[in-house]
Amino acid sequence: MERRLRTFRLLPLLAGLAFALIIPLLLGRNQYAMVLATTVLVYSVLATAWNIIGGMAGQLDLAAFAYLGLGAFTSGTLLLRWNVTPWIGMFAGGLVAAAFAALIGYPLFRFGIKEVWYALSSSALVEVLRIAFLMWSNIGGPVERYIPFHAFSLYHMRFASYIPYYYIVLALLIAALAASYRISRSRLGYYLLALGQNEDAAEALGVNAQRCKLQALMIYAFLAGMTGAVYACIYGYIHPSFFSAAQSTEIAILGIVGGMGLVYGPLTAAILLVSLKEFMRANLGSTLESLYLAVYAVILILIALFRPQGIAPWIRNTFARGLARLQGGKDGARAASARP
Amino acid sequence: MEHLAQSLINGALMGCIYALIALGLSIIFGVMNVVNFAHGEFVMIAMYGTFTIGTMLIMDAVATPIITIPLLFIFGALTYYILIDRTLRERYVTQIAVTVGLAVLLRAVAQMIWQARPRSLPFSSIQGNLLLGDINILTSRLIAALVSIVAITAIYFFLAKTWPGRAIRAASDDLDAASLVGVNYRSIYALSFGLGTALTALAGGLLMSFQQVDPTMGLRFGLLSWCVLALAGLGSIPGLLISGVIVGAAESLVITYWDPRARLLVVYLIFILVLWLRPRGLFGRK
Amino acid sequence: MAPEPLLRVHNLTKRFGQLVAVNNVSLEIAPGEIVGLIGPNGAGKTTLFNSIAGLYPPDAGRVTFRGCDTTGMLAHKMCKLGMSRTFQVVKAFDDLTVEEAVRVGAYNRHSEKEVAAKVEEVIAFCELTEIRHHRCGDLGLAPLRRVELARAVATEPVLLLLDEAGAGLTATELSGLMAIIRRLNQERGVTLCVVEHVMQLVMGICQRIIVLDAGEIIAEGSPAEISKNPNVIEAYLGKRAVL
Repeated sequence: MERRLRTFRLLPLLAGLAFALIIPLLLGRNQYAMVLATTVLVYSVLATAWNIIGGMAGQLDLAAFAYLGLGAFTSGTLLLRWNVTPWIGMFAGGLVAAAFAALIGYPLFRFGIKEVWYALSSSALVEVLRIAFLMWSNIGGPVERYIPFHAFSLYHMRFASYIPYYYIVLALLIAALAASYRISRSRLGYYLLALGQNEDAAEALGVNAQRCKLQALMIYAFLAGMTGAVYACIYGYIHPSFFSAAQSTEIAILGIVGGMGLVYGPLTAAILLVSLKEFMRANLGSTLESLYLAVYAVILILIALFRPQGIAPWIRNTFARGLARLQGGKDGARAASARP
Repeated sequence: MEHLAQSLINGALMGCIYALIALGLSIIFGVMNVVNFAHGEFVMIAMYGTFTIGTMLIMDAVATPIITIPLLFIFGALTYYILIDRTLRERYVTQIAVTVGLAVLLRAVAQMIWQARPRSLPFSSIQGNLLLGDINILTSRLIAALVSIVAITAIYFFLAKTWPGRAIRAASDDLDAASLVGVNYRSIYALSFGLGTALTALAGGLLMSFQQVDPTMGLRFGLLSWCVLALAGLGSIPGLLISGVIVGAAESLVITYWDPRARLLVVYLIFILVLWLRPRGLFGRK
Repeated sequence: MAPEPLLRVHNLTKRFGQLVAVNNVSLEIAPGEIVGLIGPNGAGKTTLFNSIAGLYPPDAGRVTFRGCDTTGMLAHKMCKLGMSRTFQVVKAFDDLTVEEAVRVGAYNRHSEKEVAAKVEEVIAFCELTEIRHHRCGDLGLAPLRRVELARAVATEPVLLLLDEAGAGLTATELSGLMAIIRRLNQERGVTLCVVEHVMQLVMGICQRIIVLDAGEIIAEGSPAEISKNPNVIEAYLGKRAVL
């Protein structure tokens, strides 16, 4: 019988990967479709990275774009001032984000900040960074700092088409998934899961809560920071609005609604929901500008109310039941649909 | 020196309104342990409601609460029954997901109906100036602050002396025990949620007498009310008022002496520091 | 020459406001013992237990474990040192399977390579083989208690503190639990301190029993001695029961 929380079926994953690789070949001419696909991938990376601290360790972090923004500004500034290639800037951005995470994570976990208050702290943090960078005219400031345009420059990571960006972010996603998978099978992963389930019991079993949470936070921040560097290149500028509390919250919601703790849970939500949202934005946006957001919000609420375990477990169970029904009739279906 | 006094007074007056909003949040969070991420959006909706009623019925902003309070009370109770009640048995993250969804929904609806540009009501009857020596006090803020204080005091007595009020307090202390003495938890929760929301209606009306509203107000008021609540801690209404005043004053000082753009920055920093160093708040019980 | 005591509690006092829950208690546990800690409700057993286990630091006194001062030490550090505990109200890892829960404990002393073998061994030892893939949140009380015990056993403790492990179990479940505890002690040399209300368990497996009442030790001895001790009877049943 399969393991509940961290099942990672290799076959659908490889199929998904193959599909993802050929998407640009199918849609490449449609610029809008490529933008959509790349956006979905960016959210997927962030949500998958978020899962390490949010889904596994159970700390509701609402600061994904804080780390993304730091990565973007680090890489962007290095490029703009000293012509450092974003390929190096990515890692610098990741390190800066991770260092920042360590800086605020240490007191946060030392003081045992949890649950709601952790969530609110992190939300406030994004806003603090946004305002700070808005006022810091040397590095940030109210005006966008544009990254010079190149039709195709690997060194500057600037391309006229979205296709190269798509593959770069896809590589980041694979890295994030691989990292999540490795962690979920390791001591750190088990310790994080235990912390997320019951911190007291975990500590009584030798889990150093502070250290584990800090490690998880730093890994997540590093991944988000790297994504930020690419994000800056995609958008072609850096601006304090990158530090978005609303979008950070959205990442967490994708994680929650996708299925916390499952490696591919947030990924599922990101793919399904972000595609849906952007699709609606394109088609409903003309009538009433925010109608698509309202519909999106209603869908989120419905999922949270009626499928609190998340989309991914629901899909998996539906498949399991369907498969069992094909194989063994009603009894098989009943056995396979054990309550998640 | 006059600048200092002026700044402090302005901030303190604003702080009373913040305290009123935070009181609504305190009732919802303190009683039910429900994390309402949409509280700021409730304030925003209250302000828009005030705008619409004020425009359609040619009413002064300060008179609109007569209509908006009952409306928002019902809205709050309905929100509880439709959305919150089901999530009580689930993990708290489900509640957060639902209320965040609600916040996004309210923001989108506001944008659809009233568009993105700021809206305000024309000249209100309570606008004007008061000169105390060298200090210039806007009467709208003064009256808004006084009304807030009166409302906060009224709620204080409601919770302390009346049966529904004490039922609410009992439910927040120990739900099972309260059930045993005949308190129906559902009604109490709906009442609390409705009450908490209704308070935002009052605050909204007061704010609209001297401010504008736009769809992004929700985030600001949301974080502000959580900040005031964290600073005060749970369980003390006078503490809430004092904390509101502190936050308002801090914001005002930052505007006057540093940079208007930094006003929220300082508030958020206070928030983070309080959560780290004194999670119980200045006046909290638990 | 008597062996060095594994655990020493020196003059431990714990107050909650005005209430003195544990009053100047001293005790020792020698390696290899199974010691029972009993007393009527409110006697201070759980407070004493939690003060030793580090849940709250005592107001006065010291706790020495394996020669180190562990007073108020963090739970995970104590676990590394060799003292593990179970909880009175089971703190289960609801969404994890039994096997995963045990694995969390096993990582305490084992590296990635060794951990799987350790998990197998503990599952067999604690008789969890049939339910190893079940979700902890779906289990009934008795299997859950065994999982709780297994988790702690997987950390390879030198001293294992059990907090009312027998509560709510049927007679069969209880004897099963007692058998596992006995094997732990005899086959693996684990020292145990057992806080209990269920007399069958206490009398059945403890070699030495310490009786608390109103925060103080009122008796200490073998099960036979304790059951006849008038102070103990009085503490549980009142003065008239002694007469």
